[in-house]
Amino acid sequence: METTNDMKKLDHKTLTKSFHRWFWGALTCFSQEHMQTFGYMASMLPILRKLYPKHDDQVKAIQAYTAFFNTNPMLGTVIVGVTASMEQARANGKEIDGETINDMRAGLMGPIAGIGDSLIDGTLIPILLGISLGMSTGGSPVGAIFYIVAWVLMAYFGQRFLYFRGYRFGDQAVSFLVGKQGAAVRHAIGIVGSMVVGGVLASWVNVTTSLKLRGADGKVFLNLQDKLNSIYPGLLTVLVTLFCWWLMAKKHVSAIWTMLLLVVVSLVGVLVGFFNPGLSY
Amino acid sequence: MTISWFQAAILGVFACLCSNSCMAGQAVGNYTIGRPLVGGLVCGIILGNLQLGIACGVAMQLVYIALVTPGGTVSADVRAISYIGIPLAMVAISSQGLNPLGGGAANLAKSVGTLVGTVGTVLYYAVATMNLVWQSFGWKDVHNGKIDKLTAVNFGWPWISHALFSFLPTMLLTYYGATAVTALRSALPMDGIAMKTLFTVGGMLPCVGIAILLRQIVGKAADFIPFLVGFTLAASLHLNLVSVTVVSLLFAVIIYEIEMSGSNNTPSKDSAAPADGPSDDDDEEDI
Repeated sequence: METTNDMKKLDHKTLTKSFHRWFWGALTCFSQEHMQTFGYMASMLPILRKLYPKHDDQVKAIQAYTAFFNTNPMLGTVIVGVTASMEQARANGKEIDGETINDMRAGLMGPIAGIGDSLIDGTLIPILLGISLGMSTGGSPVGAIFYIVAWVLMAYFGQRFLYFRGYRFGDQAVSFLVGKQGAAVRHAIGIVGSMVVGGVLASWVNVTTSLKLRGADGKVFLNLQDKLNSIYPGLLTVLVTLFCWWLMAKKHVSAIWTMLLLVVVSLVGVLVGFFNPGLSY
Repeated sequence: MTISWFQAAILGVFACLCSNSCMAGQAVGNYTIGRPLVGGLVCGIILGNLQLGIACGVAMQLVYIALVTPGGTVSADVRAISYIGIPLAMVAISSQGLNPLGGGAANLAKSVGTLVGTVGTVLYYAVATMNLVWQSFGWKDVHNGKIDKLTAVNFGWPWISHALFSFLPTMLLTYYGATAVTALRSALPMDGIAMKTLFTVGGMLPCVGIAILLRQIVGKAADFIPFLVGFTLAASLHLNLVSVTVVSLLFAVIIYEIEMSGSNNTPSKDSAAPADGPSDDDDEEDI
């Protein structure tokens, strides 16, 4: 058995350095073919230098990280932390090889990408942006500044927490995310996300019609927008959104073609008098 | 409003920082500097009209409130939206003489920004492709055991990709584009068909952004219900977003409790089925 003096242990400074390399460089050398692979290798360099004094051992160790890697870079920080702890165990002669490390990385990057995209991009950011947009109405810079401060603090300290949690607990750190409890948490977050997105749509988007039917005496006898509002406020907005969803999700039309189709819809609508933004110089 | 070479060059630097693969990192580059709301602030400061910049940023942010890039595929490019689209929209709005805070200005901004952002995806793929060159350097270094050079591969060389495909296009397009946009005023009258269509499309474009997000969260018809409840709370009851979030937390807690009790105490098929139903896809990934 090795004595504690011989045990190699990563110090706080090395771990912080590795974390910073991931925080700033996860995507700097991005390509469609290797995606975040180089960001990952660059983050592991400080760890390998610390654990393996001999240069040859460092070269040998980095081979494990040449495998393809891509995940949600924010939540994925936890994976980098886990590998730091696994690499430390490997350097101390535990029965861990490059393949074990890679199996862990490959097994986690899919679920973490899915959870991260729905949790961060799908829920947290729409809420944060929705609040910030409200504060910036009327051209005030307050909302933009609030977003910068709130998001950067959350992203930096959140990722830092995830990195060190990953290092301390190994893959136990994320086990709750992939089990039964994880499914329940994801569904619960999904509800928040859906409701917030509905709220964002209602607060910020307003598709209206200008269609008015006049009688022979010039009096308006049908104001379609008023009628629609009395049925369900925001009906047209919801319908246009569901139409776009149906095109993209059910008909597999790309976002760009969907936008082009909206151009056609708008043109026809303007020609028949259904839409009129009512502007002039 | 015009854009000088100096202003265009600063916009170019910001484009390098934010666009994927972002030189200022994902969280600070792509998710902060690249957000149209923040881009509006930056462009407003650079071009000397803060109020107009923010107004354009707010309008454009609505279209891209859900800029998810599943698996690294993009439908729009933040460098083009925030640092080419917003400056051009600002020039267009001020040359049209529109009220910067009006709905017309916002819709014009959305149309200009979305057009530029969509075309800008070319730049995204150009950078990602050129990075393959630096990565081939990296593979050679790994092969030869010169792993210390990986730092330069990851943090240094990609600047060249950005100089070519972020800095130059942004500088040239904002400088020359401003003149072109100003010329539009005489070519396209505001009450003509073309401009009316442009403004109408601008009003509808955020629906596409929301629909992209819905595609991520809606698996079956019942998943629309929380979305519609959220919409109703805001549209009919006029709750603001924080209030909608608080109400949604209640439902989230209920869902969580139901699923946890269902899966722990009664592992019978009847109670487990609804809990496991929507997560089938996720479970496959987990294994």
